[in-house]
Amino acid sequence: MLFPTIEFGIFFLVVFAASWAARGTPEIRKLFLLGASYFFYGWWDWRFLALLFVSTLINYLAGLALARSARPGFRKFIVGVAVVAGLSILGFFKYYGFFLTSLSVLLETAGLTRDLPFMQVILPVGISFFTFQGISYVVDVYRGHVPAERSLPNVMLYISFFPQLVAGPIVRAADFLPQLHRPVSLTRAHIGVGVVLILSGLLKKMVVANYLATELVDPVFFDPAAVGALDLLVGVYGYAIQIYCDFSGYSDIAIGIAALLGYRFLENFDQPYRASSLQDFWRRWHISLSTWLRDYLYVPLGGNRHGEAKTYRNLFLTMFLGGIWHGAAWTFVFWGAFHGTMLAVERYARRQIEFFAPAETAPGGIMSALGSGAQHLVGIVWTFHLVCFAWIFFRADSFATAGSYLAGFARWDEASQYVTPFMVGLIAIAMLFQFTPRHLGRWLARGVQYFPSPVLGLLLGGGIWLIWAIAPEGVAPFIYFQF
Amino acid sequence: MLDLLREIERELGGHPDEVTEAERIDAAATRRAVGRVLRALAIVVALLFVFSSERLVTWVNGFEVGPVQDRVVAASTAWNALMAESGLTMPAEAVRAEVNDLRGMSWPEVRAHLENEKARGREGARLLRGALFEEQG
Repeated sequence: MLFPTIEFGIFFLVVFAASWAARGTPEIRKLFLLGASYFFYGWWDWRFLALLFVSTLINYLAGLALARSARPGFRKFIVGVAVVAGLSILGFFKYYGFFLTSLSVLLETAGLTRDLPFMQVILPVGISFFTFQGISYVVDVYRGHVPAERSLPNVMLYISFFPQLVAGPIVRAADFLPQLHRPVSLTRAHIGVGVVLILSGLLKKMVVANYLATELVDPVFFDPAAVGALDLLVGVYGYAIQIYCDFSGYSDIAIGIAALLGYRFLENFDQPYRASSLQDFWRRWHISLSTWLRDYLYVPLGGNRHGEAKTYRNLFLTMFLGGIWHGAAWTFVFWGAFHGTMLAVERYARRQIEFFAPAETAPGGIMSALGSGAQHLVGIVWTFHLVCFAWIFFRADSFATAGSYLAGFARWDEASQYVTPFMVGLIAIAMLFQFTPRHLGRWLARGVQYFPSPVLGLLLGGGIWLIWAIAPEGVAPFIYFQF
Repeated sequence: MLDLLREIERELGGHPDEVTEAERIDAAATRRAVGRVLRALAIVVALLFVFSSERLVTWVNGFEVGPVQDRVVAASTAWNALMAESGLTMPAEAVRAEVNDLRGMSWPEVRAHLENEKARGREGARLLRGALFEEQG
């Protein structure tokens, strides 16, 4: 059940009305939301409901065991077992085929042929997201950020809550579980935020992402050798916008729906293409994953506490594993490794610049301000192009396609086939929104929250009607569903 | 904050399930907000039912084949035809036609359009200047 469909609209109407009708009995409300979330997940493939339950049960039992144990060694052991169990499930479903294919190629290269136990493993939707949420719960309990939850339904609801279940944002146990213990309420602010985010998410996904995908990105990436350099250049810009609108659109809708049900999720995107460095980009892009990787991987690896060399190693490893998390393909491995390497290079360069040319502490007047503005602008353009270069590998189905894409940048004499004014206009407008005031959404929500219900209905209904009228027919799945 | 109030009540020996004043006010505000959203959602459904009836036809055509689907498809097609006859599907068609024109626009057309606009601007300025000279003269 995709968000921008009539099925989901009906599902949400029922869940909204019934869950608020059950507000007086919080336990029943939570059970109802849990049932709705399992129904939502089972809509794709009911066979994986058991997997979702088992994964949750492992984390729940680990949490209880941690609460009962005071011995540090044993507590570490429990966390280790829970994390290994979660990652093993993820590893089997996501990486089994990839591992065996890679092994088979390696053996063939070495002149050895073996019959390997290949089998068709279906990837359960959202497995990467709910596995990471489970790990977040166990580690947060271990660190004392959240008490172990006695109620199994609460842990089940935390991991399976339908707005974030299949494509994030990755909600932290310490953020969500306390909300389940408070009386739930719906305020004007919830309504304002919910309506604005749902409309902006639908617009991003159904109009911008879908048009760019079908009329520019898909044809260009299908056969990069058949098009010229201009198509390839605008194609990768288009993909940068498409993946942003697709994923942040999903996050917006998820956060908006959660708000209308009385829950608060944290922001997942913050105008990432206005970042003036890669480090800044990762503070703005898929924030729930980058902070997850920082807190549960980079920091435990030692972070920046053990000298420069180890900091570079930790940066690289974190991004490398972040790349593998995205998908079982060498192109994703390269994507992660590239970001890790460039983050390390950026850090090294910054330290060298600070050493040889320290920033002036005193204000230097207009020339200095202009210089720093120009430096910032160059940083934005440079970062955007680095990110776009990495997107080529992220989007390409193989290294051969990515290689062909890069080689095509030499063909400037070929006429463009896909760079139409409409595509360029979409990209330009979407880029413009990267540079609007940061709190534009908040200001809009502040206005919307005071609308009386007829105006609210006209705004939401008129907005959805307009989006449906503008958008292409059909709904393409969200890109991040495959992860 | 509400949890804290509950804790204090418990410490003072009050009934733990007793509804506090703050919770009562919160509950009333929530009830009003839920009613507001439900009324707004009812308007959304009515608007889409009337002005986007063709989406309904597309949707029901995706149902599993069977007698129920046949009936639903027939009903939604009749509803869409009724809306089309009443001219209520026209706004969506007009928007779609406008978007299709934009999608089909080529670079020479954009250039010609911009030149037209520029010429109109120049003509406007010329007329304005003429009017001004006449006034001065």
